[in-house]
Order: sequence, then structure tokens, then C-alpha cells
Amino acid sequence: MSFQPLPARPERTLRLLDSLFRRNKPAADPARIALDRLGRSFERARATAIVAARPGLPDALRHQPLVSPRKGVDAARALNRASGLLAFSVLTDSALEHYRGAFRNKAMFTPLATSALTVAASLHGTTDQRESAHLFRDVTYALAAVTGLVGTAFHVFNVGSRVGGFRWVNFFYRAPVGAPMAILISGLFGVASERLRREGPGGRPTVFGLGAGRTLATITAGSMAGTVGEAWLLHFRGNFQNPAMYIPVTIPPASGALLMDAAIRGGEKRRTAARASLWATVATGIAGTFFHAYGVQRMMGGWRNWKQNLLDGPPVPTPPAFTGVALAGLAALDLLEGDDA
Amino acid sequence: MCADQTILANREGLRSGNLSPMQQVRAAGGRAPDPHVTGGWLSMQEYADGEEVDFAIVGTGAGGGTLAAELAEAGFSVVAFDAGPYFRPLEDFASDETAQSQLFWTDKRIVDGDNPLKMGSNNSGKAVGGSTVHYAMVALRQRPESFASRTKQGFGADWPISWQEMWRYYTKAEDALKISGPIRYPWGPKRPRYPYRPHDLNAAALMLAKGAEALGIDWTETPLATVSAPRGKSPPCVYRGFCRVGCSTNAKQSALVTFIPRAIRAGAEVRDLAMVGRIEVNKDGRATGLHYHRAGQWRFQRARNVIVAGYAIESPRLLLNSATDRHPDGLANSSGLVGKYLMTQSNQAVFGVMDDEVRWNKGPPSLAITEHWNYDDRKDFFGGYIHMSQGPLPVEWSSVLTGSKGLWGDALLGELDKYNHQVGLKMVGEMMPQERNQVTLADEVDQYGLRVARITYSWCDNDKAMIKHALDFMQQQAEAAGVKEIFRQKNDTNHLAGTIRMGADRRTSVVNADCRSWDIPNLFVCDGSVFPTTGGVNPSLTIQALALRTADRIKELSRRGEL
Repeated sequence: MSFQPLPARPERTLRLLDSLFRRNKPAADPARIALDRLGRSFERARATAIVAARPGLPDALRHQPLVSPRKGVDAARALNRASGLLAFSVLTDSALEHYRGAFRNKAMFTPLATSALTVAASLHGTTDQRESAHLFRDVTYALAAVTGLVGTAFHVFNVGSRVGGFRWVNFFYRAPVGAPMAILISGLFGVASERLRREGPGGRPTVFGLGAGRTLATITAGSMAGTVGEAWLLHFRGNFQNPAMYIPVTIPPASGALLMDAAIRGGEKRRTAARASLWATVATGIAGTFFHAYGVQRMMGGWRNWKQNLLDGPPVPTPPAFTGVALAGLAALDLLEGDDA
Repeated sequence: MCADQTILANREGLRSGNLSPMQQVRAAGGRAPDPHVTGGWLSMQEYADGEEVDFAIVGTGAGGGTLAAELAEAGFSVVAFDAGPYFRPLEDFASDETAQSQLFWTDKRIVDGDNPLKMGSNNSGKAVGGSTVHYAMVALRQRPESFASRTKQGFGADWPISWQEMWRYYTKAEDALKISGPIRYPWGPKRPRYPYRPHDLNAAALMLAKGAEALGIDWTETPLATVSAPRGKSPPCVYRGFCRVGCSTNAKQSALVTFIPRAIRAGAEVRDLAMVGRIEVNKDGRATGLHYHRAGQWRFQRARNVIVAGYAIESPRLLLNSATDRHPDGLANSSGLVGKYLMTQSNQAVFGVMDDEVRWNKGPPSLAITEHWNYDDRKDFFGGYIHMSQGPLPVEWSSVLTGSKGLWGDALLGELDKYNHQVGLKMVGEMMPQERNQVTLADEVDQYGLRVARITYSWCDNDKAMIKHALDFMQQQAEAAGVKEIFRQKNDTNHLAGTIRMGADRRTSVVNADCRSWDIPNLFVCDGSVFPTTGGVNPSLTIQALALRTADRIKELSRRGEL
């Protein structure tokens, strides 16, 4: 997948953010920025020329990507999107659920702060074309990942601390153990995206010193498994009373498995299958939001009683987590392209 | 009628196109209220009085409501009668304990004996849907040995049905009501997973759990007939806590919102405010129909078969009131046992206060349970009991404080101030079937001119021993959970059973395993009154399982031409 650069205007505001983190020298280098701009203008001009001349061009040229083929950066920005979407889901969901829990513990504000920062970092990254990590984003993403880990520990403690300990009813109704994992995943995607922006040896992008495609595919598949686990637990609690409740425990795990298959065994056919299933998972996340909105309607009083039912009904903000993870999977697939050769 | 009531009645009349359900029949003119839709109607088939229907069913609760649905769905023509009103829960049920006493059977009855029963709120309902409209939704299975108490446990009488068969029908009943229960039930033989997941525990339930863990006994979430997730038009429970005075959201899977709509959709007719006074029997000894009072007059419905499902007081009363020259002791009474072996369940409790706020009225009243003393046989009395966490509403609680604790005036007010810190454990215990505990007819008559029931009840030594054991144990458990200022409520009883017992021998029982009268082949009785022993659990699920079995047996008998 390749993304068109956004128009320059939002970048100006985001560059303000940059100025707050001047330690990231290459990013703040005005000459580099000017070069970047020049490069992008050139790209645009080239793209316009190609489109204009399109009918007369040979096939090979026509299908060339219109933007710079810097795979690492493109994939990094795709990951920024994935991370941002997950963080937005966490921001809204933890706001709702922790409000429901009356912020009894002050630590319950933490995910609101870190997920909001992560959304900002991801917006910033999405518009950033540079081939370098960014300190603000890097720190934010790392913080998000840590929040996820600590949050999981808090939630596990919350389940185990009630009488009966780790029994089903406590897993059903106490703090959901899987929920903080979403911000952990969001942070992981972000950290990976920052690593990706640096080309690896031989021009192949790497993450943590390993082939980027496979590493990211593995992180994505793991994240998918966790997200599916959380959906399964809560849909099991809801007794799968609507057959649609089986969708998030069938399509996403299938897409995770197909992605791993494509990463390990390679081949265009496997990648196509994985790509199709990941798009289905993207759709699952979007459809889930509407299904949950319908679920709110089925509570006593429906949307007329939204103040109560948004809190007690199925959580409207959570399903897009699947979309976020699937977007990361698609970025991983892009990186896997050509790995066979 | 005072001004306020008139306004209320009018407003309601405007909404549902009808006057108060207590005064005017609602199931008429080819339609009956749809309990799930405000102002909604279900189209309903109607039968003429002179038309001989396949089944006339007396009562629409756990027994009658279930049978009406099952038999109508099997293609039989069915008319089900209920003396009570046809409520619309979404419109008629107020969040007001006093107003909701409209759900109870408070007609005149006479009680006596050493331990006279207190009739009304927790043992008899008067509504389409019967007592399931106000019950606490506790849906339990009797222990296997309870179906053979005489041979396995040495007391009472054996049921004529094996526990395996009853447990198969429990599974069906649990599915019909989508019981929300624990993933793993700690006691007894393995049972299938409950159809819905358990509800969360409130603070009152956590006290039971804490005490149980301290004493090293098992506890679990109570299997309840209120849904924890949406089911059709029933939204999940919102934990208002008004379950025992009528669920106004329809989360409660009462007969009114489950079996009754099923029955009507399948072609059954339900007649509300229809009091059955007498069953007619011809000279061949077969029932021909029944006399009922509706809309100010006595009428007669012809029927090929009659099923009585009026519970342990009204069912024997109807059989006794139907006496003729040929049946001078009442119908189906050649054994002389109609009205005998009445049983209630001991319902004693320990109450106290916690330091932390509890708000025990939130949620269904009994969210946690232990069946420990149903399954542990190391005890010095027959039978067993469960105990559960409690959450009475304020008026009910104040009646416990006045009636059982004897508080009044300032002392009462001071105690009521502790309401939000109050907790309790309450038993449901098996009382022994005794022939002397019985329902007979008094000379006085009720508003229909029918002789009222005289209810005679005395505890035996075994009952007292069990109550003492339970009070001691519950107190120990509450203390282990940190409960203070403990008070023992020693006088309460609840569910009823017996009076038309089933059995394998016509000399010692009134009906057979199919709930069919030994004497009158087209007369069935299917409710709690057929229980030979009552077991140590709430009876509703057993009645429903029995009704499902009876429906299957009736279908089978009909296929074989033996009906």
C-alpha cells in the first residue's frame, strides 16, 4: 500500500510540535525539510506527468507507484495509522469504562493521558515522510506500551483481588484483563514504525534488527490473538446471543493465521489471501461499532436512556481495535512483498 | 376511588386502550396484551363456552402456563384460566412495593395449626403468569436423592419418576427460560452449561462468598431466570432489585413473558380475571368442563380434559369444592389424600450489618448461593437446605423488623437507618411431608361465594432441628464474613407443595407419574401440589420441568389414543 502525502497545511502545526523536541537533529534540520519538500514537489510533478502521459505509456511504467517507493516510510506511516486508531479506541473506551468505575483509583486516568498522546503522535507520524525516528513519537509510543503492561497488571490484580479470585464471574465483570493490551499493541506498532523509518542494510527495512515484514507480521498476529481473546471472553459473557457476535472470533483469527502463513511460507497467493482476510477484519471492526450501537438500543430504554446504556451496553468504541490491528497487518504485507525473490 | 387513582387509571386506560387490569378483562375481543410492547396486542384465538376444547387449564403459572404453551404448540385446542389480572409489566408495574401487592393472592383464607402459615407475598400470586410474576427467579434442581427420599434417605415418599428423567427435563426447562447460571456448578452430578452466563455479584452476595471461603465450603452464583444478555425483546437485567414485586423491564423470564405469549401465538386462549369454581364430572366419572366466574357472571366451558394448576392451596380447594353426590369427598379423592401432606419450606434467616455500605436491594435478591447442606449428609436431621444472600426492599425489611424482631417506634426508625449496610443469609429448607398438615374447606365463603381454604400447619421435630442447624451455621458464616449485630429471624416460611401428591400406587397418591388422576382419567393436576417431597430448593424449576414432562406424556398418550 502506498499513501499520498497530505497537503502541507497540517504539517505546519505538527512542525510546531517538532520544535518542542529539537533534540531530534535530522528532523529539525531546515535544509533537510527543504529537501523533503523539494522531493515531494518533484514527486507530484512526476505523478502529474505520468497521469497526463498515461495512455501512451507501457504497462510497466503505468503501474509504478506514484509516490516515492521508500517502503519503510510508507509502512511506518501505515503503522502510525494503525497505532492511532487503536489509541483512539482506547481513549474513548477507557474514558467510558473508567468513568463508569468512577476513577476510583487515580491511576485510572493514565490510559486517557497516554492514549491521547499516542493519537497525537500517530497523527504526526502519518503526515511525516522523513526517514528517521522522532523523539516525541518514540517516547510516546514507548510510554503507551508501558501503560499497557502496567494496566494489564492492574486489571489482573483487580480480578484476582475480589473474593473467589480468578473465577469466571470475576473475569466477566471485574476489570477486563485484555483491554489494556490494546494500548500496549498501539505502543508496539508505534515503536516498530519508528524503527522502520531507518532503512536496514541493503535497503531492506528492518525492525529490531530483523526483517521488518516478518517481525511486524508476528507482532500483528500476536495482537490479533489477544484482541480476539478479549472479544471472545466478553461475547461469551453475552452468550453469543446474536450470531453476529461470532464474527470477531472467526474472521480476525483467520486473518491472523493467514498473515503468519504468508510471512513464513511467502508467495503471492498466500499474500493475496492474507490481504483479503485482513480487509475483512478491517470491515469487522467498522461493522462491530454499528452492531454495538444496536446492542445499546437493545438495553432497557435503548438510546433514549443513553447515559446509562452507553456505560452498561456493549462498548461502542472497542470494535475499531480490530481495524487498527488489521491495518498493521496490511502494512506488514506490503513489507513482505518481494521477500520471495 | 380517590382522585389520584382515577387519574392513574385513566392515563393507563388511554395508553393501553383498557381500564385497570384488576377491574376489566384484557384478553378478549380476539386479542391479548403483548407484555413486551407498550400498548401492544397479540391476536388471540377464542373459543365459545359450548365448544368442547381439548384442554381447559386452571392457572397460568409455572405449571399451567408451561402446559398451555406446550399443548397449544402440539396442536391441541387450549383455554387457560387465571383468576388474576393480565398485567403489562412495562406499564403496570410501579417502583413501589406497596402498590405492587397487587401481584399477591390476598383473598380470604383461614390459617391454623401450631405454626400457621402467613399467606400472600412469598407463597401465592394472582396474575396471568402466576407466582412467576413475583418470584425471586431462583432456578435450582433438586438433588438426585430427593426423588427417592424414602428408599435413599429414609424419610417421606419416593417420586414415581427417576431423577435422571427429571434432570433431562430440568435441562429443557432451563433452556426454555434461558437461565443465567454459573459455568461450573459445584454440587451434584455434572449438568449441562446454563444457557446464559451468571450475573455479577452484588455486595450482599460477596458477603456469602466471603463467609463460605472462610468456612471452607463451596458457593456459586445463583442460577436465575432473568437474562444476563438480551433475549428477543427481553433486555438484560438492569439490577433495579424490584424482582419480587414485579419486573418492569421484562428481563425476568416469568411465565407471563415466556410461555404465555408462546401459548397465545400457538392458538391458545388465555382468560384473565376468570376464577374457576368447580369442575363438572358426568356419571361415567369423566370431567366434562368447568364452571368459571368472569365479568360478573358464572359460565361453563366444555372440555375433553381438565388440567388443574392452581398451586398447593387452590388446586386441592378446587377439587374439594367440586364434590358431588358421587364424589362426596371431592374429586379424585378415593385415596382420601386430597389436601393432605401440605409442605412449606423453612425460610429462616440471619441478618446483620457490615461496616462498608452494601445496598443489598441492588440486583436480584439472591445472587449467591450455597447448596452445601443439600449435598453434605453429615447432619442429624432428614432433608437439606440451601442458603442465599438477601436483598429485601425497605417495606419488606421493615416488616421483618416489626414482625420478627418486634421493633417499633424510635427503635424501628433507628434500625432502618442502617438499611444500606444491612446483609443477610436466608435458608430454603425442606420440611417433612406430614399428613396432619393440610388444606380443608372452611365454612366461610369468598367474594365468589366459594368456600375458602383452611390451611393447617405445624412443624415437626425434624423441621425444628433443621432450622436450628441452619440458623447456627448461617450465623457462623455471617460472622466469618465480618457481619455485626446479628439477628436471627426464626419464624419465616415460603414456598408450598404437596396436597395432591403423585405416586406409583393409587392407594397412597392422588395422581400418577403423568400427573393424571387415578380416579378421573381426563383430569390432570400439574403444579407444586403433586410433589411427594419438596426438596431443599426453590420449587419453580421443578414444577416447570414436571410440566414439560407432562406435556410430552400427554402428547404420547394422545398418539396412542389413551387420552
